[in-house]
Amino acid sequence: MEIVKIIGVGIIALIIIIILKQYKPEFTIYVSIIAGVIILMMVMDQFNAVINLLTSLTNKTGTGSTFLKILLKITGIAILTEFAVSICKDSGESAIASKIDLAGKIIIISISIPIITALLELIINILP
Amino acid sequence: MNIDLLFKIAAIGILVAVLHQVLVRAGREDQAMMTTLAGLVIVLTMVIKEISTLFNTVRTIFGL
Repeated sequence: MEIVKIIGVGIIALIIIIILKQYKPEFTIYVSIIAGVIILMMVMDQFNAVINLLTSLTNKTGTGSTFLKILLKITGIAILTEFAVSICKDSGESAIASKIDLAGKIIIISISIPIITALLELIINILP
Repeated sequence: MNIDLLFKIAAIGILVAVLHQVLVRAGREDQAMMTTLAGLVIVLTMVIKEISTLFNTVRTIFGL
């Protein structure tokens, strides 16, 4: 039933934006930002449950907990950059959007360096 | 995270637009500009507050 609320928020925001466009076009960007924030906040507690499940599973196996932390960081960064990129694209500033996108990618690569080094060591050990 | 934020922003937007027209008709262009700026600042503070709550939640959940 959660999805019905999310769709409701989206459609209400859409209607408000259409009304606001005639009177005050500058305010439409604020309504779309607030709608995005509301929808993301609605989904956050389900996200929390999934993450708790993942951490409990990896704690049982005991090996990949550092990698899971890095993976969670990467997903967090991806969500935030996508949030900002879509807002910038909506308001027509695709240059800023691509800069944010590039920065997000660079940060994700820099965070995932430990994973890459661990993978390489694994491969080197496997090779005769 | 409630829905009336959307309605508040819509109401402020329309109010500022109407006030602007009224003040311009009354011949006070500078006050009209002041009310537009005031409305803008109010809406901006609300939006920034919501965005900061979102960023804090995401930071705590994902351990950023």
